[in-house]
This record gives sequence, C-alpha cells and structure tokens, in this order.
Amino acid sequence: MTVTGAPRAARDPGRPPRIPRLITGSAPVSLAEHLDRYGPPPLRADRPAAGRAVTGLIDEIDRAGLTGRGGAGFPAARKMRAVADAASRGGTFSSVGAVVIANGAESEPASWKDRLLLSRAPHLVLDGVALAAEAVGASRAYLCVHAGPVGPAAGPLRDAIASRDRAGLNRVPVQLAEIPGGYVTSQETALVGFLNGGPARPAFVPPRPAQRGAHRRPTLVQNVETFAHAALIARYGADWFRAAGTAAFPGTALMSVGGAVRRPGVYEAALGTTLASLLQRAGGPAEAPAAVLAGGYFGGWLPLPAAQHIPLSDEALRPAGASLGPGVLVLLPESSCGLAETARAVRYLASQSAGQCGPCSNGLPALAEAMEWIAYGRAGAADGLSWAQQLLRLVSGRGACHLPDGTASMAASALRVFGADLHRHLTRGPCQRVSRAGVLPVPRPPAGAS
Amino acid sequence: MSPRRRREPQRLQLNPIACEAHGVCIELLPELIAADPWGYPVIAPGPVPQQLLPLAQRAVNVCPTLALLLTRAG
Amino acid sequence: MTAHPAAIVVTSSTPLWYATRATGLVALVLLTISMALGLLSSVRYQRPGLPRFVTVGLHRNSALLAFAFTVLHIITTLADSYVPVRIQDAFIPFISAYRPLWLGLGAVSFDLMIALIGTSLLRARMSYRTWQAVHWAAYLCWPVAVVHGLGTGSDTRVRWVLLLTLACVSVIAALTGWRLAAGWPSRPVARLAGALAVVAALIAGGAWLAAGPLKPGWASRAGTPPALLKPAAGRALGPAAAARLTSPITQGRPPAPAGSGDPARHPHAAASGPAIAPRQGRAR
Repeated sequence: MTVTGAPRAARDPGRPPRIPRLITGSAPVSLAEHLDRYGPPPLRADRPAAGRAVTGLIDEIDRAGLTGRGGAGFPAARKMRAVADAASRGGTFSSVGAVVIANGAESEPASWKDRLLLSRAPHLVLDGVALAAEAVGASRAYLCVHAGPVGPAAGPLRDAIASRDRAGLNRVPVQLAEIPGGYVTSQETALVGFLNGGPARPAFVPPRPAQRGAHRRPTLVQNVETFAHAALIARYGADWFRAAGTAAFPGTALMSVGGAVRRPGVYEAALGTTLASLLQRAGGPAEAPAAVLAGGYFGGWLPLPAAQHIPLSDEALRPAGASLGPGVLVLLPESSCGLAETARAVRYLASQSAGQCGPCSNGLPALAEAMEWIAYGRAGAADGLSWAQQLLRLVSGRGACHLPDGTASMAASALRVFGADLHRHLTRGPCQRVSRAGVLPVPRPPAGAS
Repeated sequence: MSPRRRREPQRLQLNPIACEAHGVCIELLPELIAADPWGYPVIAPGPVPQQLLPLAQRAVNVCPTLALLLTRAG
Repeated sequence: MTAHPAAIVVTSSTPLWYATRATGLVALVLLTISMALGLLSSVRYQRPGLPRFVTVGLHRNSALLAFAFTVLHIITTLADSYVPVRIQDAFIPFISAYRPLWLGLGAVSFDLMIALIGTSLLRARMSYRTWQAVHWAAYLCWPVAVVHGLGTGSDTRVRWVLLLTLACVSVIAALTGWRLAAGWPSRPVARLAGALAVVAALIAGGAWLAAGPLKPGWASRAGTPPALLKPAAGRALGPAAAARLTSPITQGRPPAPAGSGDPARHPHAAASGPAIAPRQGRAR
C-alpha cells in the first residue's frame, strides 16, 4: 500500500539554505543545533507498517533529480522506487521490510568528504536515512564506515544515533557497522555481503541489492551525502534543490580538492561549476599545474590549462575522458610525472583486487607492471605500450565489480593526456620527474588486509 | 529449453567469480568464446545466433562450476 | 572326489552368482575410471587428443555406467536365492545376514553413489557450494567400494581379480597424489594431511588385505552364515552336481586330496578351510 502526500513544510520556509548547504561551520553540529536550524525531519506522524512504502518523498526526489554522490551517479529516486516496489511485493514476508544502508565507507584514498560530513553534520545524514526508510518501507538501517583510523570516529556517531533514539527521530533502528579497509569493500554488494556475515567482497549480480540484499531483503544502498541532500529536499522541496547545478545534474556536491593546491580541503560546489573556479576556491595551484585527476581512481586525467573551463558534471567530464565520481580532484604539478603517478596508482589498485575474478586478479598486476615499465623502464621498445593497451581491452568489464574497468579507463586517460611524456619515455627513457615524491595518495595496506 | 524460450533472443553471460578457467566452454563454442592469456573466457557481445543456441546450451550445461549462463537478451 | 562343504546349493543360482561377481568387478572398474577422470579434471589435465570437454563428459558418463552396473550387481544378488540378502540390505548398511559388515560397506558405497549422481543430475537447482560439498563424498565412495569387493567377494584370492583391484587402487592413489601436489597452493597443511591420509589408508588397507581376505578362513570370519559353510548332514553331492559347482577358474586343476588343508574351491564358500571340516574340529 502506498501513501502519497507532499512533505511537511520546514519550520522556516522562507529561509532555505544557500551554498554551502551541507557543512556550514567548522564544528560538529549537535542534535539541538540541527533541529534549531532545520526543524525536525518531515516524517509522517503515524508510523506506517514496514513494507508499506510512502512515495511522497520519492516523487519529490525524482523531481529534484538527485543522483548518487558515491561515485556512480545513479538516480536516487529510481533506486528508492525499486526497493520500495520489491519491499511491497514481499508477499508473506511483506511485514519484514526493507533495509537501508548509508554508505560512509570512503575507500577512495583521495576523498575525505564523507568523513567530514559524518563528523560535522551527522544529523543531516541520519535524517535522510530515516526519511528514506519510511519511503521504501524499511524496518532497519545501517550506517557503514571504515573501522579504525581510516574511518571517522565511531564514538561521536554512536552518540548521535543514541541522541536521536532518545528524541524519537530514528524511524527505524540504526546500527553503526564498521567495515574492514580496502578499496572494494565499500562496493554495494560487498557491504551487503559483509552485513550478511560473510567477507566484504563484491558479489555477482543478479540479484541486485534492491531486489535481495542484507538479510535477503530489498536493500537501499546510498552514499551518506546522498542521504544528506535527500533530508534537505524533504524540507525545502525539489525546486529549491534545482536552484543550483545544471538541468541534467542539479544540486550541489562536496568535492575533495587535493594535490598541488594551496588550500587542499573539501569544498561544496554547485554541479556545473568550472574546474578553474573550484581550484581558485582551493587557493589556486601551489605551482605550475600540468593536469588534474578528476573523479578519483576510477576517473580520468584532464590536461591543464587546456581543460580549466570544463564544467564539473558527468555530462561534460565523461566525453572528456574523465568523470565526477565522488567529487575528487587531485592537481598534478608540472614537476611531477603523470605516468609515474598513474603507475603507482594502478599498482595500488591491483593490490586491492578481491582475487575472485581471473581477468582482474591476473590482468591488473600485469597492467601495473606494464605501466611501471612505461614509467620507469628502458627506452627503445614500444612492446610495453602495446601490451598495456591490450590489457586495457582485456580487463574492462570482465570482473564482478568495476575495479578492472575503472582502473583501465584511468590508465587509458593517462596514456592519452600524457602523450608527450609517453613519447619521451619510450624514446629517451624515464624523465627525472619520476623520482619526485608522490602526489596521488596511495595507502599502504594495513597488516592482515587482503 | 521450452519452445517459447527458443524463439527469444538469448545472450551468454559469465559469472566471473564462479569461473575457474576450466576452459570447457572455450572448446565447445569457439565461435563465441575465446580464451584470454590466462585461460579465462572472453565472450563475444550481443545475442547468440539462433543456429548456435543448442551448442550454447550444451556449453552452459557442461561448465564444471555452472559459471556460464544463458539469459534473455536486451 | 572330495565332498564339497556347502552341499546346499540351488544349481540355477550359479549363473546369477557369476553375474554378481562380473557386474561387481565391472562396476568397480567403471567407478575407478570415473574417479580417475574426475581427478584428471581437477588438475586440468589436457592433451591435444584429450580435450577438457572429453574428460568432463567421460567422467559423467562413466559414473552413470558404474551406477547402472551397480544396480545390476544388486539385482543379481537379490535374485540369487543362495545368499540371504534382501532388498533393504542394499540400501541400509550392516543389517544383512550374509557378511553384514562387508556387504554393508557395499550399501554405504551405493548410498553415496546415489547422493553423488542425484545431486549432479540436479546441479542446476542447487547452489554450487552444496553440490561441491556432497561431491567430496566421492573420496569415500570409491575406497568403500573397493573394501566391499575385497571383503565380500569370494574371488579375492584369485590372482587376476586381486591384480585388477590392486591396479585400480594404484591408479587412484597415483592420481590423488598428483591432485594433492598440483592443487590447493594456498593450503599446504590440508595437502599434507591429505597425503598422510592416503598413505595411511594404503598401509591399513594392505595390512587388512594380508591378514583378512587373503588368509584362509576369511569366509567365516567375514560373517558368512554357517549354513553356507558347513556341509549339510547326510547330503553328499553326486559328481555331476559337484562338477557344476566347480569354479571355471580352477578348472583343470586337480582337486585337492582329502585333508590336505587346501581350501576347497567352492564358489560360495571359498577359503573356508579343509574339505572335511568336522574331522579338524575347527571352531567356527
């Protein structure tokens, strides 16, 4: 049974937030401050039974055009609708309900927006979780973060959840789940597998989590930032959300800007903002820039200053060979060698393979070796390049998750964008810049990680 | 295969986690499946031609780990 | 002509009894072939003349044939009214009146074969992990069948039968060793444990064979009902009937003189001791 209806108006309809919308101060926002600023989340007064979805919010999010902020950019309303439909079709088990997973397991090394959001504005995220749980007919929710020093502090998050329990603001029980480290553990089927008691490794789909996920129930997996935006859309409406951003990619997004900029940090920007203006907000380049990695390790390189006016949204970035991803930008200075940086990144990604699929566990180390050969190897032979290009075709799309494809497209963009360097490396050997300290962050795997 | 299913376009899909590179499918359906440098199958994209459907079904049945699947195309 | 010990014999049971032995041996050979091909499949053995799909396909077909011959083997045993075996003895182990332990092992092997083949025929309807877990029972099914043959069969002391059985054991032992050497690179402890288990099984099996079926008196120690061993009182066989009872394997050999201690070559009660039992006062 579905119930339609517009979300309740916020306490202060005349003062919807301007940019920045999500993180407004430099200190964590307590529950009292949060309620004071935004009012309570517009949950339905009567608790609907689990499995009977409320679609008002989903329609509003659909009109707002919110897309996932975790990297894939999938339309949020479509995912929520799929889970709501699957939950209401539950038959005998319709009273069991769906599951909501807020994915704050930020495994992209150059991204730290989720950690910041969870430490500064956890209640926006948890509002979104409660609203989504109501909308899809869920009966429980998880907030997933990485364990240990990699992830945000667990204590304050548990406190935030507990304070909401006391105030009756958690529509469903919310449990904090600490996920092991690793690049692929935050993939949605890996999270589901971990919550089901198995290892945090991607699984073959079908069935998608929206159909059958955690505890064999329809599961909604969204990035924590997506839930935060949903919490604001529920209060201020789709038109307010669309006041920023482009028609196809509306709203704002948190961007982690790093590398050779003067003020590395997390900046919230409207989608469609140019690369140059965002780099300016981060203080501008610290030294002469050569390129920027857009979209994280599954994104691609963009040459500078040629691409500086490119708008930051998938519709402009994908044709240019990059992507927005989880809003990651790393600036590469001219004093660094893009091929060496890429070789290090590919070697890291190869080490992160879950080892389940032959093409990935064989192909990525081979690709890393080929990239290292190109970056550090002897001059004279182009065999390394042609083998690398063959490998790029061989690994793409042949794994259970997107690790091989993402790695391949990032490596391909490096071979394209750093074409002049490539020619020099192949004919005269590695440049001196390869020995410069790394700009792309490459974590050392913790002891015991796969 | 039921008669109706025979008329619908089918495509070959591989579960890469279940696949252990036994290579039986590569031997039985070389028209559509080739081996990569490590022995894993590379499947030609697109629907399976009608005349190859029985051979494709045989390859699916004989896979030792049931990693090869025939699913509805499109 | 010595008086044969088991005088109670229905002569029409003899062809059935040969059929039982024959189908049993053929089933064992086919099961060995199937097991060998399964082991070759797991080590990814491949030759230009032996593609993978042949190994996999033959493994399945020989298993089905082995099952068919096992069923025939059971049918001929049941039809043979000489030995007191009922149909439930083929499925429920250790309840038969004839050599309960050793025949029961045949029932165990048969039950395992049903599980192996049943799950394999229904593979598409269960998870791969379930199917794989059940398939491990093959490592139990085959040796149990071998021990059943050696313990129940009355041909164990016949040279070519013994050699055939030993050949089957050698092939499987060698291929299992190969599989242990080639597979599971990340689990050396499991491989070592497997290798030790194989060696222990071979030693134990060999010792049992030497002390058991290959020694005289096995038929009674194995649990052959006494009625089938002792000569029935006052019922001596005529030469014609006695001649029909002689195993064709031993045809041409002069019969042992009375009291010589040579085991009488009776098909149903071989290796049961000297021809005239009561004079020896042998305890049964």
